[in-house]
Amino acid sequence: MNSLRVLVVLPLYGGSLPIGRYVASALEEEGHMVEVFEAPSFYPAYESLDDLKVTTDRLEYLQNSFLNVVSQSVLAKVETFEPDMVLAMAQAPLNRQALKRLRRDGVTTAMWFVEDHELFTYWKGFAPLYDIFAVIQKGEFFNDLKAIGQPNALYLPLAAQPDFHRPMELSAVERRKFGSDISFMGAGYPNRRVAFRELVSRDFKIWGNEWDGDHVLAPLVQLKGARVTPEECVKIFNATRINLNLHSSIQVNELVTGGDFINPRTFELAACGAFQLVDERSLMGDAFVDDELETFTSMNELVEKIDYFSAHPDERAAYAARGRERVLAEHTYAHRMRALIEFTAERIPGWPKPRSASPAFAEDFPPELERDIRELIARLGLPEDVSFEDLVWAVRKQEGKLSSLDTAVLFLDEWRKLYGKKK
Amino acid sequence: MKHYLIIQLARFGDLVQTKRLAATLLARPGAAVHLCVDASLEPLARLVYPEAEVHPIMAHGMGLGGCEAALRALTDNRRAFDRLTAVNFETVYNLNFSGLNFRLAALFDPERVEGYAWKNGQEITGTWPAMAMRWTGHRRIGINLVDFWAGYCPDMIAPDAVNPTAVPKGEGIGVVLAGRESRRSLPAPLLARMAATTAGTQASERIVLLGGPSEARAGQEVVKNLPAQLQDKTENLAGKTNWRSLADVVGSLDMLLTPDTGTMHLAAHLGTPVTAFFLSSAWCFETGPYGRGHIVYQAVRDCLPCLESAPCPIETACLDGFADPGFQRLLATRKAAHAPEGVMGLASDFDALGQIYVPFAGKDVDAGQRSRFRDFLGQHLSGRPHAATDADHAFASQFYQEKDWIAKRQHIDTIGY
Repeated sequence: MNSLRVLVVLPLYGGSLPIGRYVASALEEEGHMVEVFEAPSFYPAYESLDDLKVTTDRLEYLQNSFLNVVSQSVLAKVETFEPDMVLAMAQAPLNRQALKRLRRDGVTTAMWFVEDHELFTYWKGFAPLYDIFAVIQKGEFFNDLKAIGQPNALYLPLAAQPDFHRPMELSAVERRKFGSDISFMGAGYPNRRVAFRELVSRDFKIWGNEWDGDHVLAPLVQLKGARVTPEECVKIFNATRINLNLHSSIQVNELVTGGDFINPRTFELAACGAFQLVDERSLMGDAFVDDELETFTSMNELVEKIDYFSAHPDERAAYAARGRERVLAEHTYAHRMRALIEFTAERIPGWPKPRSASPAFAEDFPPELERDIRELIARLGLPEDVSFEDLVWAVRKQEGKLSSLDTAVLFLDEWRKLYGKKK
Repeated sequence: MKHYLIIQLARFGDLVQTKRLAATLLARPGAAVHLCVDASLEPLARLVYPEAEVHPIMAHGMGLGGCEAALRALTDNRRAFDRLTAVNFETVYNLNFSGLNFRLAALFDPERVEGYAWKNGQEITGTWPAMAMRWTGHRRIGINLVDFWAGYCPDMIAPDAVNPTAVPKGEGIGVVLAGRESRRSLPAPLLARMAATTAGTQASERIVLLGGPSEARAGQEVVKNLPAQLQDKTENLAGKTNWRSLADVVGSLDMLLTPDTGTMHLAAHLGTPVTAFFLSSAWCFETGPYGRGHIVYQAVRDCLPCLESAPCPIETACLDGFADPGFQRLLATRKAAHAPEGVMGLASDFDALGQIYVPFAGKDVDAGQRSRFRDFLGQHLSGRPHAATDADHAFASQFYQEKDWIAKRQHIDTIGY
């Protein structure tokens, strides 16, 4: 597959936001030209509407109007960037009107719905408006999607970003701050709150937010329950002997739910070469074999395994190494993007549409000019055979004052638009 | 020393019309003015702006093929860009709404760019040119382009200090054969009649025909249509002049007869009296000759000024007034009584904002509204109040947008504010 132009539309906030950023990195890694729609920049203004103290119908009107502006901003970006694909992450701010417009304009759209479809049911409202709908669950969900008019569903489990989720040397201070025998990094969902009460007597740190109001766990919660950055997560994973990974649930009757999808933490911990105890998921068998991931199916089993692996560091290390190997081989965001692109090419006839591509070099360029352009291409992280059109876009993405060569490239592009591409 | 850069990538006439802006910057103490122009206009830029440092770049088509253009853009232009970035410009005046100008602005801190800037890959239009785009829907009351460009500077020099008052120079009359847009020009037989009438009134011993190589044939046709006694006194210089010799010829004339052309602006720059014929999309209040001592005959119809790019559904009826036999009498006498239907005769003058044209024949029906608009713009530019009227409210509603004052301004305040 040749280099594509992909516009990644991030959500305003939330769990799919870091995933969207990994997706953008992975696509760039794969040699594609990526533009990111930075929806989070709009979020503070959107939130400020809540402070208006106005009637609810007014507030709803204003919120919808605001989201319409955001959607229109995405459309404007599409018009300028001319992507082969608009890849929206779950909760991306693209309203139905905008999606219909993209369809009318023949712009291929995909959503990666990295949410639990049983809990987040809003997919029913817009899934058919996307050309491709990638999901992290299987089974009936595919039939449901088909029933509402979305035939192009793709199972695309979450993954890790190996240049970010990686083994890391930590300083003594960092080990002290982020390290412990056992830790959990994640939000305080009801099943976790109950489950972790059994572990309060251990060297156990809880990281993440939404843990407030729980007096039993309060002493274990780090940073006063503040949101942990993705960078800090990687340090926690690396500094912890046994990382707990209990998938979330809003009910407390069954603490280990045995659900289907695999959360991103599973892949991220493995990519970090960190040892984890993770609750068994029905889709786990597709992703890992037994000796790559140590799982539990009940709280009793979890406690037993904590005791066992606390005493067997070599086995922890062996699991971690095999898990990391598997992730690097099959479960990176680059793998996922390759799968998404292949699937799109299969399902959308004629995709990607051929686009005109001029070479970045002409035969009569003097050697010093060719050298400077090669340096520019390398500096921008572009493939050596990048087209002139993609080079122009990459130059445009830069911030601040541009160099004379950058400007000359942009100027030439405009000149060609005005006076044609005569050979 | 403070360095100022003017980027003027448009054509001949536009370059000359940048003069009030350039002169304003040159009048600032310790100022050095730089001018970035298309390479084809470099000699002209040096002629008109001898005090400025000229930076030529490849901006126009020039019939180059793709490969050659690429090479020149990436070598010659780049060298020029290097020279530009070597200077620490106080302000960059980027005058043309064009993708080329936006890209060129990428060399500079957007906070220092007036007009059309580039900020992190985004094209940014300043408030003043954005306002101008809004009033293009009201062209009849618009202002002279020379004053518009000078409007970037609150300290713009007095309009009468821009060009010398036009006086005859003694070497006959010049006739410009056509402008870039043919619909705005008079056909050769009509032009010959204008030339003959003027030559008779002025008792001229010499007529020179001016234009590019493509107008040489039109020149022959004008000669053919002249009375026999004038044919011998007429020299067809179309295609035979360079910038220097064109300036020498134009600067020696008693009068230049012309449609809206670059040569007309050159004459105004040199203080040679202009008699101009404005029709179709040409509107003298926007691009008439700058200075005192010029005459303009402006076609007036409800559909004027029109869009040059749109086909004319009435076969350029605005030409009829000029073809009317009465027009020759108006041309000879400048008496209002001789003015045919559809033509207005105007003499150039100034008000506080800049160039105006005062009718001596025909009625300028927009004069009142134009005057109120000029008051409005005058206050916008200078901060000097005038008695507000209902018109101010209407202008403000039309030409300011909410974002101009609600959100952060798109670019810096002009100096002096």
